[in-house]
Amino acid sequence: MTMTKKSTAKARYLRTHIILSIAYVVSVALASAFVPDDARPSPLVIGFALLPGAMILGWIWNMGRYLIEMEDEYLRLLEIRKALVATAITLGIAGGWGLVELFAQVPRLPVFFIFPIWCVGLAVGQLVNRLTINSGGDRA
Amino acid sequence: MKNRLKVLRAERSWSQQALADQLGVSRQSVNAIETGRYDPSLPLAFQIAEVFGLAIEEIFIHEKD
Repeated sequence: MTMTKKSTAKARYLRTHIILSIAYVVSVALASAFVPDDARPSPLVIGFALLPGAMILGWIWNMGRYLIEMEDEYLRLLEIRKALVATAITLGIAGGWGLVELFAQVPRLPVFFIFPIWCVGLAVGQLVNRLTINSGGDRA
Repeated sequence: MKNRLKVLRAERSWSQQALADQLGVSRQSVNAIETGRYDPSLPLAFQIAEVFGLAIEEIFIHEKD
């Protein structure tokens, strides 16, 4: 177990994240350029729409790989706590607002927002870490 | 679980970073263990014991004891 290994895992995570982020922006731009707003749900249109979705799956896979490759067990604990807080917030909002939608005439929450909400939850998780075990995560 | 990490480290004039480097973990981890905010796994506890040349029970104290 060496710090070099840890740094390598982090560097690989960041590099993959940046590549996937660029691919996400490009695929959203491609879908916006080639798919008209009123397009029928043909396999081609769905394929274009799913391209950015594949990048989101890539982000999730990259986060999972980083957690597995992290050598420092305490820092891994902090990351997992963040993910748990994010998941609790996301499920709470999705389930809670979903029930409100069911019984009241309120704006629908597009499922597209689930992943961004989870990412915001990670930031809340970092804050929870800082307030509870006085550590916000890897600042190295 | 209490521990004597800070005392043992001070006896050897090691900084938290120096100990972290020997253990292959972050300074944050050493700090969290030292202040009792985190109990290390058994493999890491063995590694800490090895670095100090002591038995685990000479470093970590079960609060019942």
